[in-house]
Amino acid sequence: MKIQNLKIKVLVFISVLFGCFLSAGNAYAMHISEGILPWNWAALWFVVAAPFMAYGLYRLKKLSDADLSFKPLVGLMAAVVFIISCMPIPVPTAGTCSHPCGTGISGILLGPAISTVVAAVALLIQALFLSHGGLSTLGANIMSMGIMGSFTGYLTFRGLRVFKANLGIAGFMAGLFADWATYLATSAELASGIRGDSPFLPLFWKILIAFIPTQLPLGILEGAMTAGMVVLLYKKRPDLLVKMRVIKAEEVMA
Amino acid sequence: MHIFSEYFKKDHVLSQIDARIKLLIALALLAMVLSYHGFVFPVGTAILCLFLCMAIKVPLRVSILRFSEPLFIAAVVILLKLFFSGQDALFSLNIFGAEVVGHRDGLREGLLIGTRIIGAVSIIAVLGFSTPFIEFMASLSWFRVPKGFIEILMFAYRYIFVLFEDAQVIYQAQKNRLGYSTVRRGLNSFGTLAGSLTIKAFDHSQSTTVAMVQRGYDGNMPMLMHKSFNASEIYGSALFLLVMGVLWKM
Repeated sequence: MKIQNLKIKVLVFISVLFGCFLSAGNAYAMHISEGILPWNWAALWFVVAAPFMAYGLYRLKKLSDADLSFKPLVGLMAAVVFIISCMPIPVPTAGTCSHPCGTGISGILLGPAISTVVAAVALLIQALFLSHGGLSTLGANIMSMGIMGSFTGYLTFRGLRVFKANLGIAGFMAGLFADWATYLATSAELASGIRGDSPFLPLFWKILIAFIPTQLPLGILEGAMTAGMVVLLYKKRPDLLVKMRVIKAEEVMA
Repeated sequence: MHIFSEYFKKDHVLSQIDARIKLLIALALLAMVLSYHGFVFPVGTAILCLFLCMAIKVPLRVSILRFSEPLFIAAVVILLKLFFSGQDALFSLNIFGAEVVGHRDGLREGLLIGTRIIGAVSIIAVLGFSTPFIEFMASLSWFRVPKGFIEILMFAYRYIFVLFEDAQVIYQAQKNRLGYSTVRRGLNSFGTLAGSLTIKAFDHSQSTTVAMVQRGYDGNMPMLMHKSFNASEIYGSALFLLVMGVLWKM
């Protein structure tokens, strides 16, 4: 009887701990924590992210040479991404709060290369001054949130716009897939980093499944948020969308 | 936003040290923690960093907030490794007829990762608490981090506070008008909030550019000039790293 009680207590403890992880993990879930990746994996993700960052900085220089206001605009978009990724929103299925990544919308507005730089900036500030993410895992986080999020969001949006999807739907799908791509990449990075001698795939699936209860609905929420942003910009400031080459000037007239 | 280092006590033992040296030491310690194959060094580093946090008078609430997320993540990694990794059975639980086995080697692997997280987070926390943002940017510039990246960092950091205040005002206004009373309305309100922030960001960027051009901005921002290194700082930090290196090697 005593052993059974002990087992129940252990089980409750584990459930509570896991629940706490889900809540805490969700709050900053797209960031891989400092120290979680061994040095060789941490270094590998820096190497993978480096060419994207270099291209993003090249594009930034090129565009800011032509328009002096471009750098301040990119800096402010980085601040917006920082704030969006710090804002908790409710996740009904999990009974907890989580937050969007914001790289879907920055990918749509600034292009995926510069959005990668924007994500890197937001991630570095969060790592240094809030302990969300980390310096050693910056490369991995740039890869998942910056590169995967931005490129998936941008390509989804552009792809759907080619097929004449309206702004709201294209924005929704872009936000949704950007978010899910981020978590897919995060799961792969985590599984490869912490698996030790165990095989990759089983751990990858376990981590992915652990993310599903919150990240599945969160992706939908991020999609709705991105759609809301794009539609609001179209209604209130279509000139901004034209300037960012999200839509053509003729579409505003229509 | 009173969690950034600017708001803490400024005249402490670490504020006297050059930001470049602090960054170098932090990176070296981080490399040691990440490459260490045991518990002792990361735990020792975490304890040292905890003492430093207390010495520079970081508010307890801020410290708890800062460490809560990494601690949870460390705990879950330990649990994941305990139950889903390893061969050597330590104990087993019967959960609704299914047997869940905890593994000794899994627990060891989990503890290795868990202590690595705590050690690494502590180092970066001390660096963040003790280094003002502008000094940190200047040291990045000295380390030849691309200037465009640093400029974006500076713009972002400057406007986080402005946009955060704007976001708070919009959020309160929406909340007072029941903007978050249902999930659907909450989503609409959040989309509007994020869109409004983007519009404000654009407007701020235009006005900032005009103001900066009037002050001679030509697309490049000047960085903080560095003072020359102090010999005692260099010898002191070299000695500290030597001691830590010996402990790491043991």
